[in-house]
Amino acid sequence: MASVKLTDVKKVYDNKVTAVHDFNLEIMDKEFVVFVGPSGCGKSTTLRMIAGLEDISDGTLEIDGEVVNDLQPKDRDIAMVFQNYALYPHMTVYDNIAFSLRLKKVPEDEVYDRVTNAAKILGITEYLTRKPRALSGGQRQRVAIGRAMVRNAKVFLMDEPLSNLDAKLRNQMRAEIILLRQKLDTTFIYVTHDQTEAMTLGDRIVIMKDGYIEQVGTPQEVFDTPVNLFVAGFIGSPQMNFLKANLVKGGNSYYVELLDVKLPLNDEQNAVLAQKGVGSQEIILGVRPEHTTVLFDNAEDAIECTIDVNEMMGSELHLHLRSKNDDKIIVRLPTVDLSKEQRASLSYGNKMYITFPAKVMHLFDPETEKSLIDG
Amino acid sequence: MSEATAKRHMGLKTSRAISNTAIHVLLIVISIIWLIPFVCIVLQSFRVENTGPVGYVMPKVWGTDNYVKLFQTDFPRWYTNTFIAALATAVLQTIIVLCMSYTLSRFRFKMRQPLMRFMLILGMFPGMLSMIILYRVLKDLGLTQANAVPGLILVYVASSGMGYYVSKGFFDTIPMSLDEAARVDGATRAKILYKIILPLSKPIVIYTVLTAFMGPWGDYVFARYIAFGTSAGKNVAVGLYDWLNKDQISNCYTMFCAGGVLVALPVTILFLFLQKYYVEGVTGGAVKG
Amino acid sequence: MTQLSDLEFLKLSKGQKFGYRLGRFFTGIPKAIGNFFLKIGNGLKKAGSAIGREFADIVNTFIHGDWKTKLSFFIMGFGCLARGQILRGLLFLLFEIVFISYMILSGGYWLSMLPSLGKVGPSEEYNEVLDAYTTTYHDNSFQILLYGVLTIFFIIAFIYTWRVNVKQNKMAEKILASGKKLKSGKDDLRSVVDDQFHKTLLALPVTGIFIFTVLPILFMILVAFTNYDGTHNGYTNSLFTWVGLDNFNTMLSWSGGSGGTQSYAATFGEVLIWTLIWAFFATFTNYFLGMFVAMAINKKGIKFKKGWRTILVLTIAIPQFISLLYVSKMFAKNGIINGFLLDMGWITQAIDFFGDASRPWLARVTVILINIWIGIPYLMLITTGILMNIPADLYESAKIDGASGWQQYRKITLPYMLFVTGPYLLTSFTGNMNNFNVIYLLTAGAPTNAAASSASGSVGYTDLLITWLFKITMGAESKYYLASVIGILVFVVVALISLIVYNLLPSIKNEEDFR
Repeated sequence: MASVKLTDVKKVYDNKVTAVHDFNLEIMDKEFVVFVGPSGCGKSTTLRMIAGLEDISDGTLEIDGEVVNDLQPKDRDIAMVFQNYALYPHMTVYDNIAFSLRLKKVPEDEVYDRVTNAAKILGITEYLTRKPRALSGGQRQRVAIGRAMVRNAKVFLMDEPLSNLDAKLRNQMRAEIILLRQKLDTTFIYVTHDQTEAMTLGDRIVIMKDGYIEQVGTPQEVFDTPVNLFVAGFIGSPQMNFLKANLVKGGNSYYVELLDVKLPLNDEQNAVLAQKGVGSQEIILGVRPEHTTVLFDNAEDAIECTIDVNEMMGSELHLHLRSKNDDKIIVRLPTVDLSKEQRASLSYGNKMYITFPAKVMHLFDPETEKSLIDG
Repeated sequence: MSEATAKRHMGLKTSRAISNTAIHVLLIVISIIWLIPFVCIVLQSFRVENTGPVGYVMPKVWGTDNYVKLFQTDFPRWYTNTFIAALATAVLQTIIVLCMSYTLSRFRFKMRQPLMRFMLILGMFPGMLSMIILYRVLKDLGLTQANAVPGLILVYVASSGMGYYVSKGFFDTIPMSLDEAARVDGATRAKILYKIILPLSKPIVIYTVLTAFMGPWGDYVFARYIAFGTSAGKNVAVGLYDWLNKDQISNCYTMFCAGGVLVALPVTILFLFLQKYYVEGVTGGAVKG
Repeated sequence: MTQLSDLEFLKLSKGQKFGYRLGRFFTGIPKAIGNFFLKIGNGLKKAGSAIGREFADIVNTFIHGDWKTKLSFFIMGFGCLARGQILRGLLFLLFEIVFISYMILSGGYWLSMLPSLGKVGPSEEYNEVLDAYTTTYHDNSFQILLYGVLTIFFIIAFIYTWRVNVKQNKMAEKILASGKKLKSGKDDLRSVVDDQFHKTLLALPVTGIFIFTVLPILFMILVAFTNYDGTHNGYTNSLFTWVGLDNFNTMLSWSGGSGGTQSYAATFGEVLIWTLIWAFFATFTNYFLGMFVAMAINKKGIKFKKGWRTILVLTIAIPQFISLLYVSKMFAKNGIINGFLLDMGWITQAIDFFGDASRPWLARVTVILINIWIGIPYLMLITTGILMNIPADLYESAKIDGASGWQQYRKITLPYMLFVTGPYLLTSFTGNMNNFNVIYLLTAGAPTNAAASSASGSVGYTDLLITWLFKITMGAESKYYLASVIGILVFVVVALISLIVYNLLPSIKNEEDFR
């Protein structure tokens, strides 16, 4: 149980490639922080620097107030779960979990208590005498977690622990990690490339790209108020729609002009834009598929589209639409409220009308890719 | 069905049967060719009527005379020399090779690449060249001729670090994350080696021991240099080679065969049991280059 | 040759494509060699600037360092001792003491004698007590050269350690200035099995390689520039001395042959060409036939797969000196092969496989054939593993595309094998160039080449450079300097071939092709 503080942490490899640029983050005691981003964004490198598996090129790393830059992993009091589990193949499950305790010369009685206790929590008691080879993916995952659990370490690091599991098992293990977290009540740092995992697990999410932090915030924050195009596109599934549009200033208020349709902004948005002194300019308009209002008949301020693809997902439909100037727009439409006729009309080539309420519109500057309103 | 279609449909099975029979015959022929010399050597080691080379295979008078005579020569001494040298080399060389290959596989340090490149270049010099000086140095140290065995062991073992390729290739296949997990678990580098890596490396350890043993067991060149002059310092290769020179061949040829059988027997038996590991090492090593 | 674009290349006919590739290959060689020298040049430039920086840093450390640091420039380890790092300090100090006393006691002597390799040779003097002439030995050229080289290494090691000592002081000052603690002796000892564990592990192997390979090779390179041989052994009969490039002149000049004997260059050329021919055939016959046997055993429907393999593998176990010596006697004039052929009435007179100097190619072809017998089991093993790794779906899709067995081999098996085993083939080729065992144990170089035999140690038609080298050192005259020259030339040839092939090998150029 400890706080972790990274100040201007940097990673430069021998070939002069910078993997992580000035990383600043303070992780509170008992917080669950998720590093998320596409592959090569530096999230794993950052985690490995915290673990001590990679040297820190520059900056300081503090665990519980102590600078640990030059400490060996074993002296940092951390526990880690690896992507491919990294179970010792020649040891039984019991020996795997007990390994770190035995290295610390913990008395055998206590080792027994702690290992069996962890096994009970994880439901792997009956496999204790087996070798990892004889376990399924999910069981191996539990052993890997058990091995980290018995350490009672200050910080619990997890490097894409679920990415080797199949989809169903992944959902199940995700729920178990949430439970585990409540039981262990310690600081967690979790790395994943999967935004769903990040959203469901994290108290706070750190979104990274090309070695830079793009945004830090609670799941709600990063979902509602993405500060740039990258975060907006990365969080949420299906991806946010991006459309080229114009922001037009008319007197004290602004509106978005898209395909001759004028979409007004709300007071709050107007106030921010006015305060920032934004004038009329080209923008990229971002709207989440689930926030699109679908109209079956033409109306004022509605954008006319053609249906390309209609994907039936069960509780909802994913409509792939094309606007008059070939913008592609995806729309999520719950099936519950649709009438039979409406459903029938949603087939290839038919016309559709959509519109966006002010509060769901995200405005980005095409040059800087930053949000004009948030951040 | 027309004849042509019938032929097409019958073709697959019959042509496969024909080619399989042909291959079986071929393999039998190959096996015979490969085994004949060894069968001959065994047969001739039991020949009593003539101790020189002859143009026929089957002995006319059978007997173990050659084996008996073998033990009245220096052969037992050579055999012991070779065995001690091979055994010591097997142990020491394995340790050195494993140290080298483990380090090059697991650690990333500044001199790693230069070291590997340097050894590559070093390997392009004919190793025999260095024997000229080593022979004289060892002679000054009194490790040649009658005392050749320690000298030989030194020569075999000393540079064995350069033969790290195969076992490094094996270590490279053990995931790095095992080391990392162990480091996080609190193990020192040394503990990782003997608690995690070595238990997982049984095949390559056996392969290394086996090849390290076989090198000195059949070595001629180095032993020729070091054991120069005295009979007591020879190993089996040098000793048996000298039996085939013009002056001795007519007396010693069948004894050479008997000696050869005794030299080949233990390694062949060893091989029979450890074949699997040898094959693993050889195939793995070739792919890695 | 200008590079074509992909589309232009595709339009070429098969022959044109081949010609184009060949052209690119050969036009690539000068570039590869050029690049190599460019790299060396760049390396030197970098090294130069690095040395400059080191000097600047040393001077800076002295100017800005405190008195402990300054004193450490003269008394190594003083800074460590004064700052409480006793273990490190003592080690530095000990090293300096050992070095200085060595240089005073003997190092200086070896170094001073190095340019001359000894001044006074053994002399016969009249001994009054014994009433006879006895030989008194004086300088020892061999030891002078050996210890001279060692002393130079020792000096380099000392300079390096001194530099480390200076650096440590600078670091220590910096660490103390930032308020941190220095590592204690206990920390140092612990790091030997932990973060510095690689140094511990490498210490023994690298020392071994240094003493038993690097040093001897360096020594032998130097010997190539002396007249060290049986009659100038440097101590008991006569000193040896530097002769500059004379030995290379002897080996590489065409003149010098007289009275029916060749010049060294001619003999060297002949042996080199045979060495290359041998290496080529020994490598590729084994490779293709081994692959063939492996494929035969692998084929679906073949029984006793394990049995066939075991038979071949067991022949690897039998030491080569036994099998090769025995086989060489089988092929002898009075050997089993001739006996069999005579019995059958196929020949009327025994064939002298290895002794007939008028038919050198008979011996050469026989050697290559016997080498196939030696090599196939090994190659069978190697190729079996790789063949089984070729994804089965490649063959399945080829079959559906209508490829015959031969086409499957040409278009899938062979490219895959060549790609994966490219580096192995290269090492195998250079290994065969130096394949002492097979040649020496089978023929010992026979049949003898009478014209070349005066060129120090007899040379035969099947001799490789390496066996020639061996014979020279074992011969009556023991012309070590010539052996060294040959050794250096072997290195040059091997290095050149490796360099060219490495630069053109597909497995190194396009690493991802078959993954």
